Amino acid sequence: MIKDITIGQYFPGESVLHHLDPRTKLLLTVLYIVILFMAKSMLAFILIVLLTAALIPISGISFKVIAKSLKPLLFIIIFTMTLNLFFTKGEGEPLLSFWIINIYKEGVSFAIYMIVRIICLITGTGVILTYTTSPIQLTDGIEQLLAPLSKIKLPVHEFAMMMSCALRFIPTLVEETDKIMSAQKARGADFTSGSLIRRAKAIIPILIPLFVSAFRRADELAVAMECRCYHGGEGRTRMNSLHFSARDLLVTLVFVLFGAGVVLLNIFTRGIGIGI
Amino acid sequence: MRNKIEIENVSYIYSQGTPFCTEALKDVSCSFKEGIITGLIGHTGSGKSTLVQLLNGLLKPTSGRVLLDGKDIWENPKKINEIRFRVGLVFQYPEYQLFEESVYADIAYGPKNIGLDKDEIDKRVRQSAQFVGIDEGLFEKSPFDLSGGQMRRVAIAGIFALMPEVLVLDEPAAGLDPMGRDAVFNAVTAYQRTTGATVIIVSHSMEDMAKYADRIMVMSNAKVVLEGEPSEIYKNAKTLCSIGLDVPQITRLMMKLSDMGVPNRTDIFTVEGARDEILRLLGKGGNVND
Repeated sequence: MIKDITIGQYFPGESVLHHLDPRTKLLLTVLYIVILFMAKSMLAFILIVLLTAALIPISGISFKVIAKSLKPLLFIIIFTMTLNLFFTKGEGEPLLSFWIINIYKEGVSFAIYMIVRIICLITGTGVILTYTTSPIQLTDGIEQLLAPLSKIKLPVHEFAMMMSCALRFIPTLVEETDKIMSAQKARGADFTSGSLIRRAKAIIPILIPLFVSAFRRADELAVAMECRCYHGGEGRTRMNSLHFSARDLLVTLVFVLFGAGVVLLNIFTRGIGIGI
Repeated sequence: MRNKIEIENVSYIYSQGTPFCTEALKDVSCSFKEGIITGLIGHTGSGKSTLVQLLNGLLKPTSGRVLLDGKDIWENPKKINEIRFRVGLVFQYPEYQLFEESVYADIAYGPKNIGLDKDEIDKRVRQSAQFVGIDEGLFEKSPFDLSGGQMRRVAIAGIFALMPEVLVLDEPAAGLDPMGRDAVFNAVTAYQRTTGATVIIVSHSMEDMAKYADRIMVMSNAKVVLEGEPSEIYKNAKTLCSIGLDVPQITRLMMKLSDMGVPNRTDIFTVEGARDEILRLLGKGGNVND
């Protein structure tokens, strides 16, 4: 069912990662991605895998959930792996060679590094950001990080408000889709069999009611916001204002240390020749 | 009376294996009798909406069996669509599922999915519209131009057009004015009387159920707690109150009277019944029509 989609979904919890300031987590995500793409040697990769593997139990997100979120990416993972495996040219003799296909040692290591990179990217950003940060916190964090841009007349608050409205309505619309699908199934609609054109046609009975209700909801929301005197971001205060704590500093420090470790390992292992 | 639908030790768990996992039904066994109107009453979140979706195979029980005419509906999962034509389910706020260009086309959507021929579809659409009191003059209108009450009735007609043996309605009168409520319930009774179908109505209005249901089933905390004739059910005022439900206002009045020392019966749940009882106590005999 549609409800079972996990990628990018928030799982409430009480872990250290859940309690970090969303701004810290946004910056950490960027730092994590940078570190991930800086790594150029096997030891550096091992360091990152260790960090990512440690983050999973710390966040309290189950391995099952993470495995499920990787499933839709299986195709991309296999695709990049094959491309790297067959089309990387190395210097020495090929390991395997038949017809026009040559597999080099470099190809194998590139393929492995690519898989590790993709899996770490999805798992890491999920655990640091999307699984452990509620959508509300996330938009609050983005809004405050971008706040300086409003000095040059960028509508940062409006942008953040639009984003939180959109995020707020994703679950509602998913639920609504589920309901409408069930209602049409009760009238004998069939979404899973028949030709492509038949299946595309079968979606119409879902889309039209969904659009009608999305517009109705948008209208109701606008009226409700005006009733509560919404007038944009100026002079607005928050119920939960964000504060950096010692915890944020500590976790950032750990990430910076790992980053430094990766950089050092890059330089050091290249010197002794076990890099790529 | 034969049991049309039987539920055997059914449990249903939403989002199993995630932190959002909730048990909506816990080992429920119950049955619905053929050819009568059963009212399913329960507090919000008691599992009644889940139960009705199990009846026509929209949800598959996590464990247990759902039997229709003694046969497991999941015996052949590929033929579950046939079950959905035999057990018609009207969802809450069914007007939100309307999508066709005209009222006629929307009512015809279900029968078309069954694969009936044009004449049969036409016959069913007209008959269903008659049950719900939608004038044929409205057939060419867009369903989105109708009033809320009319939209609701068109949506219900869309299920009637399937001619189901079992008709299940989830809160069919929610959010309607008294006239709209009567129109909906009259349509359901008209359908039931003409076709002899088994009808299950989910509601939390005690008054409506007292008026229209032949039997009542009460759900609380993912279980069926009471089942029986309305008069038996409303005797258990204390149990009903403890699970956050109520007895009809008129029953409460009769209970107050008896608390005050009047020797009246308290198993009364309609205004007419109360009138007769009070007249009896005043010594004026039963059915007086003035």
